[in-house]
Amino acid sequence: MMERQTDLVVVGAGPAGLAAACAASNCGLEVNLVDEQSSPGGQLFRNIESPLGQASLDAKERAQGMALAKKFRASDITYFPDTTVWGLEPHKVSCTAEGKTKIFPTQSVIVAPGAMERPVPFPGWTLPGVLGAGGADILLRSGGTLLKDPAQPIVLAGNGPLLLLLACHLIDRGVNIAAWLDTGYWRKRIMSAIPMAVSFFDSAYLGKGLSMARKIAKAKIPFVLGAKNLQAIGTQRVEKITYEVKGETKEIATTCLLLHEGIIPRTHILSSLGAKHLWDPVQRYWHPEVTECGATSIDGLYLAGDAGYVHGGDASITKGTLAGIDAARRLGVITDSEAAFRSKQPLNKLRLTRFARGFLRYVFAPNPAIFAVPDQTKVCRCESVSAGDIRKVVLEGNTDVNEVKLYTRCGMGPCQGRMCGPALAEITAATLSTSPKKVGSLHIQQPFRPVSLENYCDTTTQD
Amino acid sequence: MEKSEHNDTVTILVDDIPVTVPAGISVAAAVLGHHHAGETYTNPVDGSPRAPYCLMGVCFECMMEINGEPNIQSCLVTVEEGMIVKRQVATAGAK
Repeated sequence: MMERQTDLVVVGAGPAGLAAACAASNCGLEVNLVDEQSSPGGQLFRNIESPLGQASLDAKERAQGMALAKKFRASDITYFPDTTVWGLEPHKVSCTAEGKTKIFPTQSVIVAPGAMERPVPFPGWTLPGVLGAGGADILLRSGGTLLKDPAQPIVLAGNGPLLLLLACHLIDRGVNIAAWLDTGYWRKRIMSAIPMAVSFFDSAYLGKGLSMARKIAKAKIPFVLGAKNLQAIGTQRVEKITYEVKGETKEIATTCLLLHEGIIPRTHILSSLGAKHLWDPVQRYWHPEVTECGATSIDGLYLAGDAGYVHGGDASITKGTLAGIDAARRLGVITDSEAAFRSKQPLNKLRLTRFARGFLRYVFAPNPAIFAVPDQTKVCRCESVSAGDIRKVVLEGNTDVNEVKLYTRCGMGPCQGRMCGPALAEITAATLSTSPKKVGSLHIQQPFRPVSLENYCDTTTQD
Repeated sequence: MEKSEHNDTVTILVDDIPVTVPAGISVAAAVLGHHHAGETYTNPVDGSPRAPYCLMGVCFECMMEINGEPNIQSCLVTVEEGMIVKRQVATAGAK
C-alpha cells in the first residue's frame, strides 16, 4: 500500500531514531517512523515501556530511555512497528508489515539501523549453546536463563564493552562463570592510556565503568589473558571448549559459550546506495562518511546513531537530535540560524562524549589474530563456506571479496553477508598479506532484507 | 507491581508443549531462554544443528515456523497468546 507522502521517514526506533524523529517533529516536520520491533527502544532501550525492560537498565539509562519513549509517544510522529525495511532511496522507503507491502514516499530519510556485534568465526561457533554476548543479554533481559540449570558453568570469551555489562548481569543472577577468556590486543590497548586520561570529562561514564570493574573483580571470575585458538566442541550442542594460552591447550566442560569481539556499525542500507564509506584501521570496520549532523554523501539521506560510528547510546541520542534538526533546516521549515541555535547544545555534548570516550577505540581494538582460524572453520554460516574454501579461491588469484563471494557462495545466504562479511575480508586480506581495506567490501544489493516476490512486485505496480 | 507481572504472561505452544513466558518478549527468546530448546533450526546446506545467535535480526539462525508460516525470523516476532511455534529441525520421519 502506498502511504501518504511526508517530510521525513525515520528508519529505526532505537535511541538515535527516536531522538531524530522527536527533534524533526519538534521543528514542525511531518514524520513517519518505521521499525522492525514491536515496541520502541531498539537494542539499548529494548522493551523500555515494560517493567521487564526497565529492570535490566541502570538508573540513569532507565530514566533516559523512559523519557525518550514518553516524548515519542506524546509527539505527532506516526509510528509503524513490526515493519521491515527492504528497499530505500532518498525519496522512497519500501517495507513489509504483516505480510503486506508498504511504500512511504518522502522528502527525506534518516536511517538509524544501529550497530551489531562483530561476527568472528571459530571452530564450532555454529553449535547451539554458542551465542553472541549481545544475544545472551537479550535472553536475560527477556526474563530467561542461558541454561535450564542455572548452576551449570558458562564461559565468556573475547574482547569488548558488552562483556563487562553481560558479566555484571550474570553475576547479579548468580550464574556460575567458569572462565573469562580475554583475546584483547595489547599493542593497541597500551595506546588507550593517554586518551583515557581525558575520560574524567565524562566522570559519570567513567564511574559506571569502574563500578562494573569492581563488581567483576569481587566476583573472582577466573580471568585468562591472551587466550587463543578458541574451539567449541560437541555434536548437537557445545559440550566443551578448548583454547590455547602460552602454548598450552586447556579444556573446559561447558554447554554455553558467549562470545563478544566488539561492536560494528550496520552498514547494509547505506552500502546498497553506494554512499561513501571510510575504513577505521584500529576498530577494523567500514563506516559511512557523515557530517556531524548526520548528512551522508547522498542528498536528503541522513544517518544517525551507532550505524555511522560506534560511540554508544548517549552519542546516538545527540546524533539523532542533530540529524532531525538538520532535516528540518534542509526543507526550509526552520531557518539556518534557528537550526544552529537548536543544534548548539547537542553538538557540544556530542563533541565532549566523543572526546572523553576516545580511549574505548583502543581498549577494545580487535586483535587481527582472532581471524587466523583453521581451514575447516565455517565462515559463512548460511551457505556453510569454510575458511579453507576462501583461502583456496584467493590463492587462485581472486583478490576482491566480491570475486571470492562469486566462487564460494560466501555471503549469498539469507543474512546477505552480515555474519561473514568482516571475516571474509580479514581472511582474504591475510591470505594476500594486505589490509582488509584493500580487498573491497561486499556489494550489497536491494532488497537488503529477504522479501517475498509478491511483496516485491506490489511496489512496481503502484509506481 | 507483582500483580501486573503475574498478569503479564502469555502461553505459546512450542512443538506441542505449552510454554508460559513474559509478554513482550520475542519468540526466539521464549524458545531459547525459557523453553531451552537447544537446536531450533537445521541448516539446509550442511544439515548441522543451529540455534539463535544474535537475537536481534541479523543472523537468520532463529528461523522457525510460526502459526503455520515457515522461515520466520523468530527474534523479530513478539509472543502472542496461543501462538503455535514449531522448530525447523530435520529429524528422521519429520517433514
